[in-house]
Amino acid sequence: MTSALPHIEACIPALRRYAYALLRSRQDADDLVQDTLVRALDNLHRLRAEGGVRPWLFTIMHNLFVSQLRKARARPDHEPFTPESEASAASAGSQEDNFHYRDLVAALHALPVEQRTVLLLVSLEDLSYGEVARVLDIPIGTVMSRLARGRERLRTVSHNRAAVPEPAPNGRPGFLRRVK
Amino acid sequence: MTDPNHAVSEEDLHAYVDGRLDPERRAVMDAYLRTAPEMAGQVADDIAQREELRAALAAPAAEPLPPSLNLARLVEEKLRRRRFPWQAVAAAVVALFVGTACGWFLQARPSLGVDALAQEAGASYAVFAADPRRSVELGADQKDLLTRWISHRLNRPVAPPDLSADGYRLLGGRLVAAPHGAAALFVYENERGVRLIVYVRPMKTPDTTPIEQVDAPNVDGCAWIDHGVGYTVMAEESYGRLLRLSNQVRRQAHASY
Repeated sequence: MTSALPHIEACIPALRRYAYALLRSRQDADDLVQDTLVRALDNLHRLRAEGGVRPWLFTIMHNLFVSQLRKARARPDHEPFTPESEASAASAGSQEDNFHYRDLVAALHALPVEQRTVLLLVSLEDLSYGEVARVLDIPIGTVMSRLARGRERLRTVSHNRAAVPEPAPNGRPGFLRRVK
Repeated sequence: MTDPNHAVSEEDLHAYVDGRLDPERRAVMDAYLRTAPEMAGQVADDIAQREELRAALAAPAAEPLPPSLNLARLVEEKLRRRRFPWQAVAAAVVALFVGTACGWFLQARPSLGVDALAQEAGASYAVFAADPRRSVELGADQKDLLTRWISHRLNRPVAPPDLSADGYRLLGGRLVAAPHGAAALFVYENERGVRLIVYVRPMKTPDTTPIEQVDAPNVDGCAWIDHGVGYTVMAEESYGRLLRLSNQVRRQAHASY
């Protein structure tokens, strides 16, 4: 049981990254991570070897996140997730100083939360489609359709940017070369 | 899907974007995308978008952890949380054991049940024996009916003892409520107007204990258990008189078995 602790510890940076991507508030994100870790420690006996620590932790976090959302919706007068001001959001990381990234993150947050979670777990956290289905407790077909719709929406954002992408060259590396 | 011209599924496209295809499948997809420039553009966008998203959101994972997310600390807090109630329970168990042991060895109190019995008897004494007119429900003139009723409700033969030799005349009796069910209350009075009660109820365990002195607020008494039936005698009398009266009650109860 204690042998899981190093694995849990190794996942904390990823949990923080995902929580922040979901909530956009450092404080709310770290609170969510802490709640996740406390619950994980309370439920270590339920950790199954075959599932892996990482998807298990994301499952716990997702369930906590969903119940927070539900509570927040039950109290519309109270806003628990105070979105940080543009300035503080930008100062969260030098990467976000890039206007480009800021647009993208804003577009991400304009997505319905169901698409956002799928997109983040796949693109940001590298979970397999099957793992995402288990974490979110939805069929894998739903994972794929949410991923498709999420990516489609973000693609529209990219196209609305001033930058004009190069015509698709041959070979994969070329795909990444873009005119900014 | 070995045929490159076969229409690729949406899942193939996403798996390509996410780098989840094995080299062989990837080669097939590369070949397909070369023939479908529009799809290739879309895939290129998705790959770029994926990389940008990762770059834009990478920062929190690279930062040092705040103390609130220190796992060792959280484990320690959890252990403390768990240890605390356990310690409290253990302390209570030890206290109970020591208390019981003291009861046994120092005060020679054989049963916790007798204390409860005496407490109930004291409450009945205070409420009913003190009532000058309606202390009983069935009077001495209905002694047979009283005996049948009480015996029926207590599920065993229980008759009001005769204490006339000691100057106490039966006024009557009633059924009273006890925490574990029905109990019997018999009320007596002597020529000076002193009231005495005999309180009887079944106990949870089939013990037999010696007669011992008990006290309730404002009144003394004696209590004992005979084969799982608890008895209490209470009156404003000397302990010696109460002991004598109690022996009388016990003898008569034995005679009726």
